[in-house]
Amino acid sequence: MTGKQRKQIWNAFQLTLILIATFIMLVPIVWIFLAAFKTHVDVYQLKLFFRPTLENFGTVFDDPYRLGEKLYNSTIVALVTVVFAIPIATCAAYSFSRFRLRGETTMLVMILATQFVPAVVIILPFFVMFRDIGLLDTRLGLILVNLAIVMPFAIWMIKGFIDGIPLDTEEAAMVDGSSRIQVIRNIVLPMAAPGLLTAAIFCFIIAWNEFLFALILTNKDAVTLPIGLALFKGEEGDLWNLLSAAGIIIMAPMFVLALIIRKYFVQGMTMGAVR
Amino acid sequence: MAEVILKNLTKRWGDFVGVDNQSLDIHDKEFLVLLGPSGCGKTTTMRMIAGLEEPTSGEIWIGERKVNDDLPKDRDVAMVFQNYGLYPHMTIFDNIAYPLKVRGTPKADIRPRVERAAEQVELTQFLGRKPKALSGGQRQRVALARAIVRTPKVFLMDEPLSNLDAKLRVTMRAELKHLSRELKVTTVYVTHDQIEAMTLADRVAVMKHGVIQQLGTPDEIYNDPANLFVAGFIGSPAMNLVRGSVKDGHFITVDGVRLSTIASEDRNEVILGVRADDINVHEAGAGDIDTPIYAFENTGEASFLTVVWGDQRVIARGDRHLRKEQDDVVGLTLNPDHLYLFDPATERRIHL
Repeated sequence: MTGKQRKQIWNAFQLTLILIATFIMLVPIVWIFLAAFKTHVDVYQLKLFFRPTLENFGTVFDDPYRLGEKLYNSTIVALVTVVFAIPIATCAAYSFSRFRLRGETTMLVMILATQFVPAVVIILPFFVMFRDIGLLDTRLGLILVNLAIVMPFAIWMIKGFIDGIPLDTEEAAMVDGSSRIQVIRNIVLPMAAPGLLTAAIFCFIIAWNEFLFALILTNKDAVTLPIGLALFKGEEGDLWNLLSAAGIIIMAPMFVLALIIRKYFVQGMTMGAVR
Repeated sequence: MAEVILKNLTKRWGDFVGVDNQSLDIHDKEFLVLLGPSGCGKTTTMRMIAGLEEPTSGEIWIGERKVNDDLPKDRDVAMVFQNYGLYPHMTIFDNIAYPLKVRGTPKADIRPRVERAAEQVELTQFLGRKPKALSGGQRQRVALARAIVRTPKVFLMDEPLSNLDAKLRVTMRAELKHLSRELKVTTVYVTHDQIEAMTLADRVAVMKHGVIQQLGTPDEIYNDPANLFVAGFIGSPAMNLVRGSVKDGHFITVDGVRLSTIASEDRNEVILGVRADDINVHEAGAGDIDTPIYAFENTGEASFLTVVWGDQRVIARGDRHLRKEQDDVVGLTLNPDHLYLFDPATERRIHL
């Protein structure tokens, strides 16, 4: 066997593996995609060819499901979370990156350590606190919780990007006549922009998909999309076609965001993680 | 236009002393080079002048003003960084214009001044590009243009040529020299390259371990070194340093070879310094000392003969047409007018 043949076989083997892996990952999504366009009758059959219907997408927005409210809640919660998280995290990340702070390492580790605590452990204190101060079942409450969840990620990720900006560049700007604020505005922010965008989208995705806290801390007014999915249980069992339609509505923004940031995403993840 | 005065300047990080109680007067319009090996405190000194590093103690004066508590932006200096420190998200025009913009120069003034600075460093056709699209030498020019676009009180240059390849470094060195004589602005230039120091400087401050070893013109530090460190650091090849003693007007190596007459009283432990240029090479028997060659190197422009005297290797510079083989015997003569003696204990020069 020549080297060339061996290489071809190896390539074919790799390709097969990738195809199998992709297939396994995509099957559920394809199933949901098909189910969303099926009628209640068709959904239990594994037919690939059927008469598609858009009816499900209408039904989920009607009574009693009213997915529109949940969509609104999810959008507000995720957006406001990002709008607050990114500027605050940027300030924190810049300080960690550029100043020598007392107990810097400890603080950084502790910020990350908050992520090691399982959510189930702290959810009860949250529930009690929120009940006492009247934040249960409010979007504000969810925003606060989501901020607590995304901030550590955002700080570490943005710090990675700011670490990547050569100190020379900032010092040059200072000697050239900039104040610290001007350095940040004119030099650091534009240079870190891809990182900030990545972090923003990352936070948005986390907040958008957050399930456990929303499940416990909301019941009616502030219910978000992932919780809304649980509504699609009828007397006749799970309403898979409606569930799938709602699933697509949840996933759609993720696909769009993934397209926007695919260029930066891996870079952002590794820079934040590996440094 | 201003002089820079450092008074008892010290920088410590914990127990580590970066700059140790140094005072230095840099004259108006002077080109002063801080020269030394890495870690000698030269860059730290410059960064303190720029305001990027805070002195532990001591004073920094620029012109009539004590600037210790001033932010970098208020010190009216311009700096060229080793890694250029360009703004990668801006075009070359915007890079050069930044010091003007951020200091609130009227828009109408900016364009002509940027264009003039770009012209001085021959960058005119690159103004629309981003730094990424430029070569190392061109980036260095951008950094220079950004410094000269204003007329600051002081230029600070931190090893500006060290990231360039050897050939470009020589070209840029000449350009820098030309530019500096044209601009006539007080300049502090940090380098570990003695050729840069020799060629560019009005005066050189040779530093080691945070202490200025000698301050003088290039001529003075080359021909009149104050101590062993300066003698060994300046010059390529480095000055030959041979241990021995002086007896009856002759220098004698530790293994008893009489090298040369020397105008000195008898001394027991001394170190003789002699530059490769000041050892004349003759045929065997025609010089003062016949010595077998340890190694013969021909660089094209000169030939270098390494011989062993006492326990030290010594390099002599021969004519570029000289051809010898290893173990050939040559006669060497030291030029008695250019010998230096140093005290091995204090490392100081013993003036003859």
